[in-house]
Amino acid sequence: MKTTRRKFLSSSGAATAALGFPSIIPSSALGNDDRPAPSNRIVMGGIGIGNMGRGDHRDFLNKKEVQYVAVCDARKGAMNQAKDKTDAKYGNKDCKTYADYRDILSRDDIDAVHIATPDHWHAQMIIEGCRHGKDVFCQKPESLTLGEGSLMVNTARRYGRVVSGGSQRVLQDYRGTVERCWNGSFGKVSSINVNVGPMSQPCNLPPENQPDDIDWEMWLGPAPWAPYNSKRCSGSYSTSGNSWRSYIDYSGGGMTDWGAHHFGGATFAVDVRELQPNKVVLDEIDGKKFVSLKYSNGIEITHNKPGVGQMRVGRDDVKREGKEIPKYAGSGGITGDFIDCVKTRKKPFRDVEYCINTMAVPHLATIAYKLDRSLEWDSAKQQFINDAEADRLRNRARREPWQI
Amino acid sequence: MLEQAFEALKTYKWGIDPKGIKPIQDAVVATHGNAAARKELESKLAAALDTDIPRAAKDSVCRFLKTIGTAHSVPALAKLLHDAELSHMARHALQTIDAKEAASALVNAIDKAPKKIKIGIISSLGARGKDVPVGALAKIVADKDPEVSAAGALALGALGSPESAKALGLAKVNDTNKVAVCDAMLQCAESMLAHGKKSDAKTVYGKVLSIGPSKAAKIAAELGIKASA
Repeated sequence: MKTTRRKFLSSSGAATAALGFPSIIPSSALGNDDRPAPSNRIVMGGIGIGNMGRGDHRDFLNKKEVQYVAVCDARKGAMNQAKDKTDAKYGNKDCKTYADYRDILSRDDIDAVHIATPDHWHAQMIIEGCRHGKDVFCQKPESLTLGEGSLMVNTARRYGRVVSGGSQRVLQDYRGTVERCWNGSFGKVSSINVNVGPMSQPCNLPPENQPDDIDWEMWLGPAPWAPYNSKRCSGSYSTSGNSWRSYIDYSGGGMTDWGAHHFGGATFAVDVRELQPNKVVLDEIDGKKFVSLKYSNGIEITHNKPGVGQMRVGRDDVKREGKEIPKYAGSGGITGDFIDCVKTRKKPFRDVEYCINTMAVPHLATIAYKLDRSLEWDSAKQQFINDAEADRLRNRARREPWQI
Repeated sequence: MLEQAFEALKTYKWGIDPKGIKPIQDAVVATHGNAAARKELESKLAAALDTDIPRAAKDSVCRFLKTIGTAHSVPALAKLLHDAELSHMARHALQTIDAKEAASALVNAIDKAPKKIKIGIISSLGARGKDVPVGALAKIVADKDPEVSAAGALALGALGSPESAKALGLAKVNDTNKVAVCDAMLQCAESMLAHGKKSDAKTVYGKVLSIGPSKAAKIAAELGIKASA
């Protein structure tokens, strides 16, 4: 384990002694309960600690291997609430609060962070986290744009970091379909359909009075400047105008939000987690447009194909030999998988590369719908084939001073 | 419909329903493959940027030009690069416009830009890659402001060329730009590895180790040296 972690914990004790308080060390801090000794714990902080971050915070805080030391959020209320919960858990006041996530990332004693900000922050924070040597657990959808994906994977690999996405539903919700695909009972699988939406929309909401609770510049971050509006930044799960999940600058809409779950489950079921589609065919049945995403191995994922059910698998039903289904490491679901991998340095179940390959599906489909044409995608070069206009939609400029 | 949408742009402030200008987005898609119609649409959009339409309208125009802009739009967009309110959205278009003029406009705007805007322009040059002269970014890495220097380093890293690596090797490293300079050098080394230049990559990884990198960068450089063997 890192000496810096021990150093931090010992300096905390030194600070307490200097203030003149009696230094009562709980037996748990010495590793006398079933918790690892402090020097063997994973020191964590949380960035984006409301909504989904609240659940992740609870999960990590309750893990015996974790020492939770810092929280960051653009909303003071959410941040202070998380600090209070952390302090209550440990019976101290040690959890630090930060308005700027970079202050968490620059702490040498912190080993790992979890991120549950709106989507427009994910790539920025994952990449910076890796550059600062942090392992990262990030809520889905992991990317806002197609172009962010390879940058995130490359940075994680460059620094040898454990980076896990946060869709617990990939393994949990589609178990029956996954098992029949993997155990051979479906026979040869050729396609799977995902019904999900809508795509996000332009946002032009009117200005509202900005509450003191929120640091608006920090909430917007690399997204285009826009005036404060409560619906623009609401963390509700609406994709129809009442939350940031509805709007292009912060989200891909239901297409990527629930899409991260559904397409994650689909790419897992038909076992194309290591691939990205190479053809995106825009088609139409009875006036309803839909997209077929074709892989080099012949597998096809369709999106919103009229008349086809959710997660409906195309197969020949000729029983074949099965293969072992991947599962979480450790215990405690997807967050337990992450913690176990931080310790073992193995790839987590939702390794960043699988997440990015999943996210490529809705990102590619969205570009095809927006341009109203079929596309070919060179995943090795991460560019469209003979379509410079589509290439322009892979990335967005980041608002100054944000850069990755 | 399209004429009405351009009319709607004139009063398109925050709070106005975007449906009023949607026909412009529809035209962006519908004119694909029709050079004459595209040119006409682009000209109208570029001209709109030279008027006093509201900020939200100019913001939207830049978004449209991101998809269809050519060298023809560059002068109108370039005028916005030093505008604190519109610089970002001008870059939104210029970063992706496939014309040398777009890269030149970004480069030419660097010197007189205030710090924050300058960092944004540098970021766009890195993200753009194409037609970006390494020399312009090399000059920035040597900037005495460490945050500007860090931005230049990351942009050079994004280019990932041997020339970038050479420029980064001359950077004055300090606590503020060290993470960026190391990451940029690591990116350059990865590019060399991808092109089979293991020896060159190993040299760059060695340079990273020689500048007293953070623990994370040290691990990355050591991983890189193993990969260069």
